[in-house]
Amino acid sequence: MAALTADDLAAIASRIHDQNASWIRVGMSTCGIAAGAERVYAALEDELQRQGAGVQLKKCGCLGMCAAEPLVEVNIAGMPRVIYCRVDEACARDIVRGHVCGGKLLQDYIIDMQSEDAS
Amino acid sequence: MITKTVLIKDTTPGSTSGTKEFFDVFTAALRESKLADEIRLVRAADIGVYNHGIVLKILPDNITYANVQHHDIKRIIGVTLKHGNPIKDLLYQPRAYQLRLVLKNCGRIDPESIDDYIAHDGYRALSAALQAGPDTVIREITASGLRGRGGGGFPTGLKWSMTRSTPGNEKYMICNADEGDPGAYMDRSVLEGDPHAVIEGMLIAGFAIGASQGYFYIRAEYPLAIERVQKAIDQAHAYGLVGERIFGSDFSMDLEIRLGAGAFVCGEETALIASIEGKRGTPSPRPPYPSVKGLWGKPTCINNVETLANVPSIIRNGSAWFSRIGTENSKGTKVFAVTGKVRNSGLIEVPMGTTLRDIVFEIGGGTASGKRFKAVQTGGPSGGVIPEHLLDTPVDYDNLQKLGSIMGSGGMIVMDEDDCMVDIAKFYLKFCVDESCGKCAPCRIGGYQMLNLLENISRGNATLEDLERLRLIAKAMQKASLCGLGQTAANPVLSTLRYFEDEYREHILNRRCPSKKCTALLQFIIDRSRCKKCGLCARSCPEKAITGDKEHGYTIDTARCINCGMCFETCKFGAVERN
Repeated sequence: MAALTADDLAAIASRIHDQNASWIRVGMSTCGIAAGAERVYAALEDELQRQGAGVQLKKCGCLGMCAAEPLVEVNIAGMPRVIYCRVDEACARDIVRGHVCGGKLLQDYIIDMQSEDAS
Repeated sequence: MITKTVLIKDTTPGSTSGTKEFFDVFTAALRESKLADEIRLVRAADIGVYNHGIVLKILPDNITYANVQHHDIKRIIGVTLKHGNPIKDLLYQPRAYQLRLVLKNCGRIDPESIDDYIAHDGYRALSAALQAGPDTVIREITASGLRGRGGGGFPTGLKWSMTRSTPGNEKYMICNADEGDPGAYMDRSVLEGDPHAVIEGMLIAGFAIGASQGYFYIRAEYPLAIERVQKAIDQAHAYGLVGERIFGSDFSMDLEIRLGAGAFVCGEETALIASIEGKRGTPSPRPPYPSVKGLWGKPTCINNVETLANVPSIIRNGSAWFSRIGTENSKGTKVFAVTGKVRNSGLIEVPMGTTLRDIVFEIGGGTASGKRFKAVQTGGPSGGVIPEHLLDTPVDYDNLQKLGSIMGSGGMIVMDEDDCMVDIAKFYLKFCVDESCGKCAPCRIGGYQMLNLLENISRGNATLEDLERLRLIAKAMQKASLCGLGQTAANPVLSTLRYFEDEYREHILNRRCPSKKCTALLQFIIDRSRCKKCGLCARSCPEKAITGDKEHGYTIDTARCINCGMCFETCKFGAVERN
């Protein structure tokens, strides 16, 4: 591929931003994987397929709340964006069935972080 | 149609049922107000606020209420949920906020996708830097006040300009990812979560100093970080962002990974350079500094992962933006790995100048056990402990140094009343003795002798003169050691002596360990009244020093007991006492 120019950056950025607005992200750094994030990811992948939910499943790094891993962040159009903590495989399937398909937030799993993001 | 979501969490220490109770009452109240179909109530696992009673967070308004009482529910429904207005007296005012600059993308983007990084402003800073020219880049970094995040706190802009001004047409850029402090893993997380930011920082730095080759020195214990950085380099290569004529400019730079075998001393820059050159990782005297004579004798600039991760956002947003954050002499933010006896072990990023109290209690959530906080250790084996009465110190390079500790790379270990300061000092010193490369005598011999003295203290075989001996050797090590490892190895001992000398004295004079950690000074006995005669202790004893049977109960033979504490740990009924 030819070397990128500065204009290409903007084109790539807008292509990414256009993608599906609904997604699930799993923290897959060492802390997450050690706590079982790979099993959670597989369970989410499997359940999303079973339910036929058109939601993008993504991997990401560490959000900083390592003690609460595995962390799963869920953004479904029309619902608040939330992070679930200490997710296991059963909970992962509940996320797909309850939150993604059923429009309900799971009880007792949500973690909220008080932080200010820089732009 | 659901319009609002309310997260509920009872943050009262020790409370287990408060969240559920409040949830039920609130649910009933919503039904009464005929709002059950419009408001969604959710019990949260953690709401990011601690010790503030019932805490509610209302979305999408993003209103947080703390210390909410049952009788407030009506008001909240009427004022906030129906009309979207905040109730002033319930609003939670956080004392401290995290500010994520370095960790901005960590957990937000896919670290294995360069496109995702580009979509989050990635490589824009590199493009801007190439247009602005090296002098402008160095001026910006200097003006921002960025200082090295690896521990030393050396001004980054100055380091770059020194390397740039050294004559030579072959220069090297090195990213120091040999993170070795016990409990510290900020760099690993950045490399795993946002590798392209570090690569972009490397390229900008390389451009500024005039390097055409860069090395990531990553410890082999970080396989995932290595894998992701390599993947990121390959992707950047494919896009022409690493390699020949980047962005069509005259600037060319290649990046490679070099693995460290995990020797702590290789985090020291001259030892690191020796290790990359394939030699034994031992430090050499400075000067000459690497900026003059570094890798293969050429001018070399070595920056820490976090330092480099700061670079793209400084170039993007300008030095004025960056220097507004932080304190007089310490600009920007710092990432800390808060571990030990803290509720929320993890990474936090706060503006410089945030107090230790806010870091440990507001963001970290206080001690995990709810036991009394004793001290926090910063700076790893080169740092020291900071006791509770100094917790209101704003964290920056200079303040921590004044307290006898250092900022270090960002490890922060929280200790509670169960931690013995002699034991802590012993742990860190043992680490340095193990990791000493042995090249210079002050470090090799001094560390060993100090460790012996500490061992004696923890066994109750010391005299008060030994404390003076410790101070004397420490001074010699600080003055005469070749590199930072030896010069700072005594810091944990000196700082515990400074703030907790009474604990040392208690060990020496009364042969007592107040935190009951130094097992040699303890005596284990079985309290007959609490003993359930289960025999678990007898089975756990490695020396068979516990005799008896399920009928008559058990006793510890103190002559054979080696004070290992296994019985104390295993007893489910608290019947084994240690005094």
